[in-house]
Amino acid sequence: MNQNLIIAALLLYGSMLAYSQTPDQAFDHANQLYQQGKLADARDAYEVILNNGYQSGALYYNLGNVYYKSGNIAKAVLNYERARQLVPDDDDLLHNLQLANLMITDKVEPTPRLFILDYWDGIMDAFSLKRITWLAYFLFLAFVGFHTAAILSRSYQGRRLSILCGAVSGLLFISAGFIFVGKMSTSNRHDTAIVMASITTLKNSPDSKSSDAFVLHSGVKVQITDSVNDWIKIRLADGKVGWMERTAAEII
Amino acid sequence: MGRRTVSIVLLVFLAAISLKAQDATFEASVDRNPVGMGEQFTLSLTLGNGGMGGGKNLQLPDLSKFHIMAGPNQSTSMQIINGAVSSSLTYSYVLQPKEMGKLTIGAASIEAGGKKYTTAPLTIEVVKGSPRPKQQANVPDDLNVQIGENLFLKAVVDKSHVMQGEQINLTFKIYTRVSIANYAVNKNPALTGFWGEDTENPKNIALTNETINGKQYRVGVIKRMALFPTQSGTLEISPMELQTVVQVQSRRSADPFDSFFSNPFGQNVNYMVKSEPLKIKVDPLPAGAPSGFKGAVGRFTMNTVVDKKSTRTNEPISLKVNIAGTGNIKLLESPEVDLPTDFEQYTPKVSDNINREEGRISGTKTFEYLLIPRYPGRKVIKPVMFSYFDVAKRDYVTLRSSEIEVTVEQGTAQATPLIAGGAREDIQLLSQDIRFIKVSSGTLSRKGEYVHTSGTFIALLLLPLGCLAGAFVYARRRRSVMMDEIGYRNRKAIKLAQKGLREADVLLKGATPANDQQSSKQKLQFYAEISRALWKYLCDKLNISQADLSIDGTLAMISQRSANTELTASLKSLLESCEMARFAPTSLEVATMRKTYEDAKRLIVELEQTLNTK
Repeated sequence: MNQNLIIAALLLYGSMLAYSQTPDQAFDHANQLYQQGKLADARDAYEVILNNGYQSGALYYNLGNVYYKSGNIAKAVLNYERARQLVPDDDDLLHNLQLANLMITDKVEPTPRLFILDYWDGIMDAFSLKRITWLAYFLFLAFVGFHTAAILSRSYQGRRLSILCGAVSGLLFISAGFIFVGKMSTSNRHDTAIVMASITTLKNSPDSKSSDAFVLHSGVKVQITDSVNDWIKIRLADGKVGWMERTAAEII
Repeated sequence: MGRRTVSIVLLVFLAAISLKAQDATFEASVDRNPVGMGEQFTLSLTLGNGGMGGGKNLQLPDLSKFHIMAGPNQSTSMQIINGAVSSSLTYSYVLQPKEMGKLTIGAASIEAGGKKYTTAPLTIEVVKGSPRPKQQANVPDDLNVQIGENLFLKAVVDKSHVMQGEQINLTFKIYTRVSIANYAVNKNPALTGFWGEDTENPKNIALTNETINGKQYRVGVIKRMALFPTQSGTLEISPMELQTVVQVQSRRSADPFDSFFSNPFGQNVNYMVKSEPLKIKVDPLPAGAPSGFKGAVGRFTMNTVVDKKSTRTNEPISLKVNIAGTGNIKLLESPEVDLPTDFEQYTPKVSDNINREEGRISGTKTFEYLLIPRYPGRKVIKPVMFSYFDVAKRDYVTLRSSEIEVTVEQGTAQATPLIAGGAREDIQLLSQDIRFIKVSSGTLSRKGEYVHTSGTFIALLLLPLGCLAGAFVYARRRRSVMMDEIGYRNRKAIKLAQKGLREADVLLKGATPANDQQSSKQKLQFYAEISRALWKYLCDKLNISQADLSIDGTLAMISQRSANTELTASLKSLLESCEMARFAPTSLEVATMRKTYEDAKRLIVELEQTLNTK
């Protein structure tokens, strides 16, 4: 543990030496490049921060904007989607992602789902992982605090009130825990991807000689359901299923 | 007169009676034999010399194979020849046969003069009905027959056994030895199962001479066709009918046919000629057709051309596939063009040019494909494949063009899909721009680093748990203490007692030797305090209620728990002195009070030690 920390610190120090600026400074610098209209330089600057192992919703968002402005809609969608995992409820982000999705060629009409799943997704989108972590923590704190109060309380009235509050905060804590687990599993799953190739033909089986299933253009969001060697099986929001080459898409 | 008349009549009767001597006959006959199917004939059953009474009990033969159209009709006749009188009675039936072949009419019988006569069975031959040829208006039968012998239409094919899709040449020729003024096609042959194409149909018929069975005919070609069977099996070419106008000489002429040409003022006769139906045997194409085969039979060449090798996105290219050769060129279907998937393709424009010379159908067919590339890049159109069946080689041939490579550059024209969203809201949104970048970095974190796995977070998580645990332990201890009230009182007893004694001490220090009302009240209070502290202590320590208190009882309980009699004795004297003091306060002095106080203090400590050790 200590060794790891030391190595991490050394690496951090090294990268700081190499770029002689903190990630926040690098971020500000990249923002300046963007404002000056130097899109390629700004893109490189943002990518450098990412390559150094840093990430944030704002970073992905800004990088998405750079790609959008340079006309690479697929990359813009990819970065907006990555940003969405970190800051799912950011208004600007959702707006830009919607615009980018209007620019892509394929229109995928999602099949109607059970309303409860939409609710769940809405709840999941309302919290970032960090936020739900802290929310769950404070609910936990409240739960424990009320229980402590209930234990220490001398009067019957006080104890009853504490237990009631403790139960409410406990229920909220459990709900937050569910959302947290859901967020964790989605952020660890890495099963959504954006099609990067300008055009790719999906096959009915993982084989280039197989018959063509349908054609996708860059920027479409797909769900990865299976993979064989260099092929991934994907599912579209409207339920279409096909195999495509792994290199044609980039995982969010 | 009367007598003579009677005698003549008698004579006649006598004569008539004398005729009876002749034998009767019964015969069956038909008016014609053989009979055409559907024709009517008459069956006559004739009784000869049957006598004046005629026949009785006529039994008809079995006529179930005939329709009885009319009858029986009876007719009688009588002849007297040289004095010999013969008479006959005839029953006649009009019959129509129901079926073809040889039909037998069985024996009929009749009774005459007490005797029974039967006919011999008859056999009728029914032949296929030949309804008499419809007579042409104003044309006598014999003239028709005469023309028929000298004018006929013949259908000729060059092959009667072909492969499916192979060309057959069909020719209709008219053979004539009569003069034809005009003709018109009444009915064209029905070509079921063929695709037919007229070839070189001359406006003017050139006549040639041909000799058949020693007769010289003049021959003219009416119609030439190229046929391509589109299905296999035995196919029939139905007859062609031709309405002709034949010039014949007047009937008054001795021999009309000798002088046809010498007499132009002949009679015009309508005559219909008809060819014989033809049967063509068509073999199916052999198995093993290539996948791209679509029924082309003949011999073809193919050539593909692209109008430009490089283009921009959304600018169309035209791909022309040109198929030339002989065969069923009109039936050719467009060959499949395997395009890269991002090309938009439209149905090809087809044009053909067919040459009918020399009785062979040849020509070219052009398929023009319009291709619109939607995305830039180097695109390869796979070779165009065209398969046909070569009749001469009796095998399938596949033609393939070379691969076509097209370079597509990014064009300036916007691709249509961008507008395809179409909805009004979409367009409004498109006119907006994306929002500005975030100026704040939003706390950059290391990738894969989560709040909940950091040490601080875990410590923060454990902290309240520790507090909870502490509180729990504390509450539990407190609770167990509260549950044990006796022990609580026991432990608290000494503290309370000492507290009471301290109050007594305060009173003692405030006491003065003066013997007045004020000091006596203070003394009283002092003793009350001492007494209360002691009693309270004893109650708590011994767990008895204050209501049950008595000096003796209490001392007994103490002596039960401790053998120290000196202690009980001093406790008793102390308690008693307190009682005494409360009832006679005036005699008290400060020194006594001090001693009482000291005693109480000492006793409590001793009691505490004694009772606790127990």
